[in-house]
Amino acid sequence: MKAFVLGCCGAMVVAFLTLPAQAHHSAAGVDQTRTVTIVGVLKEFKWANPHSWMDIEVTDDKGQTKSWSVEMTAPAYLARAGWTSKTVKPGDKVTVNVRPMKNGDPGGLFVNITLPDGRVLGQSAAAPRAAQ
Amino acid sequence: MTRGPLAIGDWRLVIGVLGVMCLTALPAAAQQPARAPQAAAPEPPPALGALAPANLSKPRPAAPFDLTGTWFIDQRNSENSWRFNPTGPFKLTPAAQVHYDAAKKAQAEGKVYHDDIGQCWPAGLPIIMTRVWPIAMIQKPTAIYMISGFMNSLRTVYLDGRPHSDPDIVVPSFNGESIGTWEGDTLVVDTKYFVDDHHWIDSGIPASDQLHIVERIKLANAGKTLEIAYTMNDPKNWEGDWKVTKRWSRVDDTDIAEVSCLPDLNQHMPSTQSKENVR
Repeated sequence: MKAFVLGCCGAMVVAFLTLPAQAHHSAAGVDQTRTVTIVGVLKEFKWANPHSWMDIEVTDDKGQTKSWSVEMTAPAYLARAGWTSKTVKPGDKVTVNVRPMKNGDPGGLFVNITLPDGRVLGQSAAAPRAAQ
Repeated sequence: MTRGPLAIGDWRLVIGVLGVMCLTALPAAAQQPARAPQAAAPEPPPALGALAPANLSKPRPAAPFDLTGTWFIDQRNSENSWRFNPTGPFKLTPAAQVHYDAAKKAQAEGKVYHDDIGQCWPAGLPIIMTRVWPIAMIQKPTAIYMISGFMNSLRTVYLDGRPHSDPDIVVPSFNGESIGTWEGDTLVVDTKYFVDDHHWIDSGIPASDQLHIVERIKLANAGKTLEIAYTMNDPKNWEGDWKVTKRWSRVDDTDIAEVSCLPDLNQHMPSTQSKENVR
């Protein structure tokens, strides 16, 4: 199946040494100013702490296939955005927006996904609700 | 010559020899003149663990507040309010400044600088308290147990009156050893005995075995807000008092879960695997 990597742009203020919500690592290597759309076949989806992740096989216009690793937030946050551990499965054709790596490595931070049935799911960036 | 039965004189000799042998075999203390036996200094009773019923049941004044609950760093004023940025009258030492400048340079180049946490090293105090994960706290009369949702890091604040451990025995750790005492409506927590490597206050700001943290902890907003005023010293890394205050909100709709940093998970994290990261 032919798949594509589409580049688009976004704007986001980058704080010094940013850290995605509930990450366990620095995201300084992530380009938070751009969003890239990747279309491919889901190879694996891991529902795990501290991060869920997806590996997606993406084939470019030249027919070359690369495996993209997409970092997601913790399942507790994904669940707040409508995810379950069975939302996607290997073999699904998916369209995923990511903040790409600055160094060009095939991977990045998850923004949202368009599922085979057309639904779009993101991830909750909100902290657990504070008692008011 | 064949000997016959012992004569009376022979028996006296045998009894005398046996008597001498018995006397020499007695413990030295038994040879002392008769007097009241000296009692040996009693062994101190073994220290009671914080959860020992005999420790928990000791009479103590009631604690001014109870931190039991789940807490989350308050970011309403700033998304970066969880960070420990080196702003204030204190000054980084030249050695620490080298790290800090290198971290800023790496950031400008889109590189990660010594992200030991991303490589599964414990975050350690103070940043384990403010990383964007909830913290469960369980308060008993003798201790407060703090378990971060971030790698399930355990921190214990002892309240049972024990002093800090013998420095020659204590095992340095990333969260250090915390001893708490009540001062009015404030819990004052003194923490020291930290590890000397792979431990950072924040990115590019190392922590050393000289790190000493005093936290003045209060509850506000009818128990819904936790406030900690930090005073931190680490003569290896900065000169002067590093003072900062952080706040947490009580979150009653959240629990913490098992969270482990796993090597095979990291293999799928481009942010931790980049060859350009400074390590």
